[in-house]
Amino acid sequence: MQISTEELDGGITKVVLDGRMDIAGAQAVDLKMNLIAGSSKKLLIDLEKVSFLGSMGMGSIVRPARAVSSRGGKVVLFAPNEMVTSVLKTSGIDSLFPIHHDLAAAIAALQK
Amino acid sequence: MSPAAIMPGENTVKPEPRLTLQSQLHELARLWSWVEAQAAALGIPADTEFAIQLCLEEAISNVIRHGHGGQPNLAITVDCTTPAGTQEVVFAIEDHAPPFNPLAADDVPLPSSIDQVRPGGRGIPLLRKFAGSLAYQRLPGGNRLTIGFALPR
Repeated sequence: MQISTEELDGGITKVVLDGRMDIAGAQAVDLKMNLIAGSSKKLLIDLEKVSFLGSMGMGSIVRPARAVSSRGGKVVLFAPNEMVTSVLKTSGIDSLFPIHHDLAAAIAALQK
Repeated sequence: MSPAAIMPGENTVKPEPRLTLQSQLHELARLWSWVEAQAAALGIPADTEFAIQLCLEEAISNVIRHGHGGQPNLAITVDCTTPAGTQEVVFAIEDHAPPFNPLAADDVPLPSSIDQVRPGGRGIPLLRKFAGSLAYQRLPGGNRLTIGFALPR
C-alpha cells in the first residue's frame, strides 16, 4: 500500500492511495492519514488506484475524513473503481463524503 | 465444452482446500494469498474475487475481534468447495465462538451524520450485499457461516 500527497491550488491537499485497503493496507496508511488529516482543511482522497476496500480499510479513510469535517473542513472522495464505490455506498459513506469522478468537480466541491 | 478445451487454471498448482488461521488480525494476510490461489485455480473473475476477499475478511475479522474476544489460540478454519451440481464456489468458516448468527442480526441503520460513522460496523451489510448466498449453522462449541459465490459458466 502506497500513500503520497500533493498540495493543489486553493489550499487543497490531495492524498493518493495506491494498493489494497485490506487490514494490512489500513495499518500501513493509518498514521500518515491521521497526520495529513490533522493539518488539512480541504482534503481530496484519490482512490483511483485502490484495488480493494474492506471495512477496516474504510476506517482508515473515514476516521481522518471525520477529523477534517469536525474542524469545519471538507473532504471529497475521488475516482473509486466500481467495486470500491459499491463498498462505500453499501456502508452509506457516499452520503457523508461525496464521491466525484471528475477532478474539476471534486475541486469545485471543496471550494464551495 | 470439448475435452480438449483448456480449463481455467489448468497449469496452476491446486491450492489446499482448507486454511486454518489463528485468531489474530495479522493472520488475515494469509487469507488473501489463499483466496487468490483458489480464484486462479477456478478461473474466478476479478469482481467475484473482490467480493470473496471482502466477505471473508469481514466475517473472519468479526470472529477475531468479537467472537473469539482476544483469544489468539482459537482456530478458525475456512474450507473451499465447489459442490457437485451447482455453479458455485462455497467458503465455509468455522469458529469456536459463542453462538452468533450474523444472518439474524438486525440491520444497523446507515449513518445519517458523520458522527454516526462507525468504521468496522458495516460488516454484515457488506456480507449481505456481496455474497451470492449465505447460510448459518450452529455447531457444538462454535459456528459455521457458509458463503457462496456464482462461478462463471
